[in-house]
Amino acid sequence: MEMNIYAYKCKKCGHVQYPYRTICRNCHKNEHNEFDIVPLPKSGKLLTYTNLYTLPPDFEVVTLGLGIVELEDGNKITGQLNIDKPKIGMKVKGKVEVVRRDEYNEYMGMIFYPA
Amino acid sequence: MAIDLEKILRPIDSPIPEFPPKLMTLAGGEEMVIRQVGREEIPDLLPHVAPLMHVERDFYNIVASRVYAELLGFYTHRVQDEYVLVAQIDGELAAIVNGRRVSAEVGMSYHTLALRRGLRVGAHAFAAKMEYHIDILKQKEVLIVAESPIGFRRWMIEYKLEKRFDIPHELGGVPSWALTSELYDKARSSLVVGRRPVPEHLLAKAKAGITAPSDPPTPPIDLLAATRSLGDSTATALIEQRNKLGGS
Amino acid sequence: MREVYVAGIGITSFTRLEYPLIEIAAYPALMALRDSSLDKIDHLYVANMGAGRLNHQTGLASAVVDNLSLTPAGADGIENGPASGASAIKQGFLAVASGMHDVVMVIGAEKMREVNNLEATEFVATLTHPLAEYIYGVTLPSLAGMFTRLYMEKYGVTSRHLAMVAVKNHANAMLNPFAHLHEPITIEGILDSPEAATNNPFVADPLRFFDCCPVSDGAACLILTSAEVARKCGRPMVRLAGVGQATDTHAVHDRKDPTELLAVREAARQSFAMAKLKPTDVNVAELHDAFTILEIAESEEVGFFPKGQGHIALEKGLTKLGGQLPINTSGGLKAKGHPVGATGVGQAHEIVQQLRGEADKRQVKNAKIGFTCNFGGFGNNVVCLTFVREN
Ligand SMILES: CC(C)(COP(=O)(O)OP(=O)(O)OC[C@H]1O[C@@H](n2cnc3c(N)ncnc32)[C@H](O)[C@@H]1OP(=O)(O)O)[C@@H](O)C(=O)NCCC(=O)NCCS
Ligand SMILES: [Zn+2]
Repeated sequence: MEMNIYAYKCKKCGHVQYPYRTICRNCHKNEHNEFDIVPLPKSGKLLTYTNLYTLPPDFEVVTLGLGIVELEDGNKITGQLNIDKPKIGMKVKGKVEVVRRDEYNEYMGMIFYPA
Repeated sequence: MAIDLEKILRPIDSPIPEFPPKLMTLAGGEEMVIRQVGREEIPDLLPHVAPLMHVERDFYNIVASRVYAELLGFYTHRVQDEYVLVAQIDGELAAIVNGRRVSAEVGMSYHTLALRRGLRVGAHAFAAKMEYHIDILKQKEVLIVAESPIGFRRWMIEYKLEKRFDIPHELGGVPSWALTSELYDKARSSLVVGRRPVPEHLLAKAKAGITAPSDPPTPPIDLLAATRSLGDSTATALIEQRNKLGGS
Repeated sequence: MREVYVAGIGITSFTRLEYPLIEIAAYPALMALRDSSLDKIDHLYVANMGAGRLNHQTGLASAVVDNLSLTPAGADGIENGPASGASAIKQGFLAVASGMHDVVMVIGAEKMREVNNLEATEFVATLTHPLAEYIYGVTLPSLAGMFTRLYMEKYGVTSRHLAMVAVKNHANAMLNPFAHLHEPITIEGILDSPEAATNNPFVADPLRFFDCCPVSDGAACLILTSAEVARKCGRPMVRLAGVGQATDTHAVHDRKDPTELLAVREAARQSFAMAKLKPTDVNVAELHDAFTILEIAESEEVGFFPKGQGHIALEKGLTKLGGQLPINTSGGLKAKGHPVGATGVGQAHEIVQQLRGEADKRQVKNAKIGFTCNFGGFGNNVVCLTFVREN
């Protein structure tokens, strides 16, 4: 089964938001849980990125690529990068994979590869 | 008779090439010279190491105590094939690194003691030590351990050191990590820094004498040392407090 | 609303302090009480971000009010990330302005060096979005790195500009006995020399070591009072004339244009509006340069320079000591240090010193109007303060 990162589509105004908010950022309708869950697209273009060298102590790698990607539907997402030479504006494609582990848990998130 | 015993106790050092001095510019624009020192200069180093044995932060106490012992061991011929490099800024002692040649192929890194903080002097000195083992002694690998979490991060993870956990390191018998010549080649751009030859006047200044560090790490001010020592089985808090009250 | 004055100030060195957090917080309070010759207060606010997690100490305000023997004065703790300090000042302002209290003490205190630097940055990273940022390994330096890259692309800011901020702020810190870093650095040493890459390695590229603030301990204190009390205290009259605060999206990627710091813009606008002043009136400012790029970006967003021109102003030397609008005379977070919860109060401390004419070698001549920007999260909660010297 292909895994996804989900966004939240407002039942009142159709606005898609990611990450989750209790109240829609667009129409501010104050009713609870009036959202449809929709998968975020996985392709997009790289808006900006960094290579982090001072990682949180639980990471066992030397550096970590991180970036913000503008997805096909216009939503933006932060993710890890598995890209040798990232460039602003390049096309990327994401996969939902394990992005962090602690003793008991694995956390899934988006990792981007060159498209 | 005594002389004969000394003969047995004293190891015979292998002839090894010397570390050619090098020069680097620090963040503040100062020039730092890294060079090898012989036994005759050890007495000039010891007085600057001793006070750090009481600096209970960043593992200075344990590192300085061990470095002191290693320098003494070198001076009195009780360590086989040890070498000592020093970093000096305008004569002033900025760092001491040392290690040992285990065999033609393997080196053992001992300590990196920075007496000046904040300018990444330690990183430069550590790099020089690695260069000595791999490029100058032409060894295949250097065995390393870290005594502090930051050191661990910096050396083990930054350079992707290989595990040699079957080999106990000479520092405390803990599992070793290895910087191999292949890893070293990969990290060459960040590890091998500095320039040669060192201009004559700078080298002369460095050799003219090792002067005291101007701003060495100092023991923390601990107003509550006496109180705390009640719950401190090692009593170092009290000893330290006594040192400070003694006006050191 | 009543007018609110700063009647007393105090500060510790921002460095590594090896005594308990409660005493770190109490020391500048003692200095401020002496400075104002007051010995009683109506209320205490203590700003702090990490005591519960880093120092195993909750309820810091109650602990500090007792340590200072100021009970039964009311005491509240304020946690608002790295903007806790200015948030607490804002609470103090409201308490005095409303007429509820005449004398309010505001302390910002933090002890981060209890843990090593990696754990400290990990702790600060808990303020990022838990699911959309934190799990990926996002930390504040990484958000700043991504922000910098985009800023460079868009406005032509270069590593040289960033280095100029660092060199300027390190130089200012040399004149500040309370600063964490007393190392003069040069462009040659951190950018141009063959060893620069080792002297100044990447932290979150394009940001390097000397583009980041250090991890510090420290505390600062301000005593806010009504005009009547302030006059009795007899210190130069510095009025807290403008307070502004605004927020932005929690996750940085969620902003329409991630190079725009809308919360900074709005908080500054409110602060100037309340003070009935313009950005061009300011003589000296403390901006939240946790990363060098932020000094440049904030100098634009608060209105000192047009968007995209901050680095040009820097190049021209306008923001140096002796320039037209000196920024971060204390050394800024970059070199004075950044004990997160204390920083906002520390910034105000510097401005009050400047406006009183007590900043010694870093004194900006005839400084009458000062400004601070305390930036929480990665720009998602910002408090700006405007101070005016009277008489
Ligand atoms: C830049 C950073 C990674 C450096 O950490 P580090 O390499 O572990 O530094 P060290 O502990 O080895 O520092 C050794 C010395 O270098 C100096 N130093 C540390 N950080 C420095 C910096 N950013 N700039 C200049 N000098 C610095 C200090 O003098 C320090 O000595 P001290 O321990 O007596 O204070 C770390 O300071 C950092 O992560 N900063 C960002 C903190 C942050 O995100 N804060 C929240 C922002 S809102
Ligand atoms: Zn809606």
